[in-house]
Amino acid sequence: MSTVDLQNIKKSFGDVEVIKSFNATFEDGEFVTLLGPSGCGKTTLLRMVAGFEKPTSGQLCIGGKIMSSDQVFVPPEKRQIGMVFQSYAVWPHMNVFDNIAYPLKIQKMNKQVIKEKTDRVLKVVHLDKYRDRFPSQLSGGQQQRIALGRALVAEPELLLLDEPLSNLDAKLRDSMRYEIKKISKELGITVIFVTHDQTEAMTMSDKIIILNRGVIQQAGAPYEIYHRPVNQFVADFIGKINLIKAHYADEMITVDGTDIRLPHAACKHEHVVLAVRPENIILQKEETNIPAVVDDIYFLGETTDIFLRLGDQVVRCMAESHAYAEYAVGDRVYLRLKDYLVYDDGDTEEQLEIVT
Amino acid sequence: MKKRSFDIKWLIIGLIVAFLLIFQVLPILYLVVRSFFPDGSFSLDGFRRIYTYALNWTALKNTVVSAGLAMVFGTLIAFPLAWLVGRTNLYGKKMFRTLFVMTYMVPPYVGAMAWLRLLNPTAGTMNMFLQKVFGLSQAPFDIYTMGGLVWVLTTFYYPFAFITISRAMEKMDPTLEEASRISGASPVKTLFTVTLPTMLPSIVAAGLLVFVAAASCYGIPSIIGAPGKIYTVTTRIFDYVQIGNQEGLTDATVLAVFLMILALIVMYVSTVPVKKKQYITVSGKSMRPNIVDLGKWRIPITIIVGLFALIIVIIPFVTVIMTSFTVNMGKGWSLSNLTTKYWKVIFSRDSIIHSVKNSLISGVLAATLGLIVSCVMAYLLKRTKARGRNIPDFLITVGSGTPSVVIALSLIMTMSGRFGINIYNTMTIMVIAYMIKYMLMGMRTVVSAFSQVSMDLEEVAQISGASWLRRFKDVIGPLILPSIVAGWFLIFMPCFYELTMSNLLYSNSTKTLGVELFTYQTYHSQQTASALATAILLFVIITNFILNKSTKGKFSI
Repeated sequence: MSTVDLQNIKKSFGDVEVIKSFNATFEDGEFVTLLGPSGCGKTTLLRMVAGFEKPTSGQLCIGGKIMSSDQVFVPPEKRQIGMVFQSYAVWPHMNVFDNIAYPLKIQKMNKQVIKEKTDRVLKVVHLDKYRDRFPSQLSGGQQQRIALGRALVAEPELLLLDEPLSNLDAKLRDSMRYEIKKISKELGITVIFVTHDQTEAMTMSDKIIILNRGVIQQAGAPYEIYHRPVNQFVADFIGKINLIKAHYADEMITVDGTDIRLPHAACKHEHVVLAVRPENIILQKEETNIPAVVDDIYFLGETTDIFLRLGDQVVRCMAESHAYAEYAVGDRVYLRLKDYLVYDDGDTEEQLEIVT
Repeated sequence: MKKRSFDIKWLIIGLIVAFLLIFQVLPILYLVVRSFFPDGSFSLDGFRRIYTYALNWTALKNTVVSAGLAMVFGTLIAFPLAWLVGRTNLYGKKMFRTLFVMTYMVPPYVGAMAWLRLLNPTAGTMNMFLQKVFGLSQAPFDIYTMGGLVWVLTTFYYPFAFITISRAMEKMDPTLEEASRISGASPVKTLFTVTLPTMLPSIVAAGLLVFVAAASCYGIPSIIGAPGKIYTVTTRIFDYVQIGNQEGLTDATVLAVFLMILALIVMYVSTVPVKKKQYITVSGKSMRPNIVDLGKWRIPITIIVGLFALIIVIIPFVTVIMTSFTVNMGKGWSLSNLTTKYWKVIFSRDSIIHSVKNSLISGVLAATLGLIVSCVMAYLLKRTKARGRNIPDFLITVGSGTPSVVIALSLIMTMSGRFGINIYNTMTIMVIAYMIKYMLMGMRTVVSAFSQVSMDLEEVAQISGASWLRRFKDVIGPLILPSIVAGWFLIFMPCFYELTMSNLLYSNSTKTLGVELFTYQTYHSQQTASALATAILLFVIITNFILNKSTKGKFSI
């Protein structure tokens, strides 16, 4: 069992409170990504799970055992976790085999057993031909796979990955993404992945936890987070979004500076923000209750970027490729919204805690 | 306009290269030639004659053995200390770091003086104390032995290794150690399987630094070795020069060449192959290294390190200070045995004041001229692609690694009129010797500051119409001013208290502080020497403190 349970974890560095009160449970075998902008605290959280940082308060359990609390602190070498660092941290003075076999050597296993397990892992990460080479003779991607192999060889039940792909070039990043996901699913281990790249988060995760300034903004599956962002920050951070100022009255919201009205359930405040993703704005020549004027138009190959003016505000629409030939700057068009969300304005960043 | 500034550049570069060629390369070459071609034809007679003389052979052995042992012990001390101070939660880390670097900042002969007073077999204060405490019939330690020599060399040159290893440790990627911890290794296991191997190139380089410094040292072997008849190559060279005649000088040359070759080999070994294996350790995220918790060992280890600091640093310094107040060297410390007369002496005696003046003048000259060279070199290296710009850089680096006796001797041999220049017995020859030996420190500081000033800042000035000199004055100068000041002091300080070269090059009118101190220690009065030494110590410490505070800790020895 490798459920990870964080209860009321707080972390301060001196006077600065970096993690405000983190509560989360990562189920056995789940692939969870901690996603957020720089400085949001995701790496600090990961390092607390690893044992390189001590929480200021709160309790951390792995596999049902308490790893960190007010009374107990288990050091990293006793937690039986695998970890891959952003810099790979592959030891230059050991060859590939010795790097990967290291955790087993520490456990003082039988030499034959070590060889078998390491050989198996070498195959899994496609480095069996390079077992005697030294890291300096290998590429970045290969070094990354050494780090991955080393993290998996002792068959841990929890794997921590700290932005492991950011130092790789785009194509390699792509293929490594799928490899890591595949391996972790095959081995059935719980994975905590830290990144600031939302594409990575979306493709790899069972669950994404979005953080900002030490507070969880939303936790959920990628589909849910993308289509049902719970506040403006999440909506803005994942994918592209149009944030349109509007005001609310009597179960209707009106776009500021226009007569465009949309029905909506009760809002708490008068000032609201209408959030629409570019792909959910459909352009048509037939009349609807949302008129607009084409402000600018760009051809992107697969799609067309069309900027539309609604009153004083400009929104961005993602239209199909041929739209470029159909519309021009200054055209009067009509919009249909496939999906939209409404947030209270002033509802910008700091949010309620969400218990997952 | 552009052509003119271009010419000035080349002119200045030409002057520097000429200076280095005339005063550094030629003299050394002359030494080498002279030793292999004593009568105009190639012969190894000189070498044979020197080394069949048993005393010289012993001196050679002593040099290699003492330097070698100092290297081994020095590194064995420096590495754990660097680890404890840099990577653990030892108590008082900042204080220990300052203390352990202190012996690097002071003239090594001060250490010799201190340990002489503490461990001489007849009236050494520490010996007498130990005798009393343990009820021994004889003094347990004799400083006038090879062991004594190694002890003082180690305690005064291990900081070279400590500083080198500490810096390398700071630059090391902390995730290498973290990866080991998460793989199940305890902090100590990590130290031996990851930290140590990764740092090995730096440790070797540090050890070799200690070796060369110890082998080239003159002050310590002459103060400690001579009474016990333990000679080293440096003291033998000095003896031969003292003989005064041509034969003596030739013999000195032969010995010097040996030392020179040794130093060159070590310099080569420590930079070229080691550099190849130097593992690039740059961390992507700026994570502070994981501090190892010493747990229940925290207090015991702090006590041990504290004891060490006490014995190696505090006791010697205190001894020197106390000696300067002592009336009777044979009696123990008591209020009745104290006096301030020696302090009065050093501030009043004409010859001493004269020497201080000489030291100040020559130090200031060497530092100022050396700094100008440093600035030009820094510009050359970091702002131009001039061909051959690495040559003066190489020469300056070699100069600092050349044993002081060799520099002094080479200048004596060539600058006493043989080639038309006679500056023997003048201050000029001393300033030149200082510059060759100590310019490197200034250059490294200024070069590093230069590399941190972006080209863009200068280019904007250029587009706005500023000439090369103007850009230097308005843009670069102000930005690197702290480094310039620091570089100046880093050259000035060692020149100020320098002993070895001064002892070979001085004349009655150009006596310096180092010579004065040496004379008093060896011939007249240890107390006066100690007072002088203490004054120098205070000067160095205070200056270093000011330097540290005014550059916000970025520069200090």
